[in-house]
Amino acid sequence: MTETYIVVLALVLLALLGAPLFTIIGAAALFLFALADIDTSAVIIELYRIATTPTLIAIPLFTFAGYMLAESKSPRRLVNLALAMFGWLPGGLALVVLFTCAIFTAFTGASGVTIVALGGLLYPILVKEKYPARFSLGLVTSSGTIGLLFPPSLAIILYGLVAKVSIDQLFVAGLIPGSILVGTLALYSVRVGVKAKVPRQEFSWKALATAAREAAWEMPLPVVVIGGIYGGFFTATEAAAVTAFYVVVVEVFVYRDLHLFRDVPRVMVDSMMLVGAVLAILGTAFGLTNYLIDEEVPQKLFLFVQEHVSSRITFLIILNIFLLIVGMTMDIFSAIVVVVPLILPIAQQFGIHPLHLGMIFLTNLEIGYLTPPVGLNLFLSSLRFGKPILEVARSVLMFIGLLLAALLLITYVPALSLFLVELLGTR
Amino acid sequence: MKFLQRFDSLLNRTEETLLVLFLSVMVLLAFMQVVLRNVFAEGILWADILLRHMVLWVGFLGAAIATSHERHINIDALTRFLSRRIKSAIKVLTNLFAAVICFFLFQASLEFVRNEIELGSTVYANIASWYVQVIIPVGYALLTIHFLIRLLLTIPAIGKKEPA
Repeated sequence: MTETYIVVLALVLLALLGAPLFTIIGAAALFLFALADIDTSAVIIELYRIATTPTLIAIPLFTFAGYMLAESKSPRRLVNLALAMFGWLPGGLALVVLFTCAIFTAFTGASGVTIVALGGLLYPILVKEKYPARFSLGLVTSSGTIGLLFPPSLAIILYGLVAKVSIDQLFVAGLIPGSILVGTLALYSVRVGVKAKVPRQEFSWKALATAAREAAWEMPLPVVVIGGIYGGFFTATEAAAVTAFYVVVVEVFVYRDLHLFRDVPRVMVDSMMLVGAVLAILGTAFGLTNYLIDEEVPQKLFLFVQEHVSSRITFLIILNIFLLIVGMTMDIFSAIVVVVPLILPIAQQFGIHPLHLGMIFLTNLEIGYLTPPVGLNLFLSSLRFGKPILEVARSVLMFIGLLLAALLLITYVPALSLFLVELLGTR
Repeated sequence: MKFLQRFDSLLNRTEETLLVLFLSVMVLLAFMQVVLRNVFAEGILWADILLRHMVLWVGFLGAAIATSHERHINIDALTRFLSRRIKSAIKVLTNLFAAVICFFLFQASLEFVRNEIELGSTVYANIASWYVQVIIPVGYALLTIHFLIRLLLTIPAIGKKEPA
């Protein structure tokens, strides 16, 4: 037994020193299998099984498409269009930030691309339009993950794979919770905009027409992907195939933003590094979690939890606190792959639907992106806008508070996540 | 050291070329399947199987390249604030650990492929599974090599003084 403690301690230490997480997880899996006298090739059997799941192909295709969009001039076209549409509203520019960041994060998979590509574009405009400095910084920082619950978000696809729930159902389930998150921040932004007496722009049909014409080829994308999945016309995998192909055609041959031989290979390699890093974790984690499930670890955890927690409500409160801590210390992909298989059986015993759990899980992690010490968005934003990390952390406080309020709503009203799935009968 | 750097960049370029090739085929084939299925109500049977296995190839190549660029997902909150020399020393340790684990995973996957050959399993018609599965041991071997190269390239940085 002491042997096990030493190994666990060593692995935790190595993880904290920055060893790649997939090697930590792999080491744990190899060690446990060897301890139980199971051939270590069982780890690879699990890897092979998960790697050849039909839906997995959506991950490389959507990630590639998202990176292509981020590298092209489409962020600028999207911002121009959103400005022409919403710029005249009170707090209009702040709404533009939320709206464009939500769409963009959904497409690029919350990997920080949003803050780098869009934040750099939007932050100077916010400051120029005389939005309060702290608010502007907080807004662009917290918008970096705001679209996590909308299709075709990588986090949702990954959760679906790990929890073995239909990805199409998950996307439909995410519509209302995702809108609540965006809506809460939108209301606050409008209030700030009005209070700070930000000068309002005039609405112009001409500007709207110009911006719409410029973005004409990209406008169908969210409509086709999001509408196609919500309407049940497409599966997530088909949507990924169409999106990847369409984005290449549009950015390379229509807009000519990216060169087929000079740029596309570079973007391919760049995006597949993220995919490789995520799949490396996914591959080894399945061996580990399958071992834990065979050893009935979730059941044991459940019995332990049940001794101290009797009601669903208390369990949800503890779950939220636990997940917030997970979100603070782990990145979203490893958190999903490692924590979901352990939590899911327990949550189901308490009568929490896997779709609902997914929304709770991802919303918590989304908030975790903004909280120190690991909050990735804080670091990215500090780097991108050249502000000290403490100043960035202070700027997001109000936003964290609002997102927490939305989280409570999403957690304690399951219907918000489940109602649409039943209504549309998505399968 | 020069030789090692040259070898590293050659390895990376080869992997990148293969990766771009595979992903391009994937994008085209996946799109074609959707069109065939929706317009002619019938996709190519083997294409789905091929696509599923290509994810494995693209994933491992991506992971191998990610090692060279230090893009693997890790916890860097603690090491972020250390001096460059200490950071390099720690990097040598973590790379060594990663290389050892990847080597064990390489061995495990070799065993897996050997079992599959013995069982004579096929992916489609009479195509043996191990043709496509061989990327798993190859992938882990590549990862082991990459981590070793990182380790060797980081060592000189421990001795170097902080740049003022």
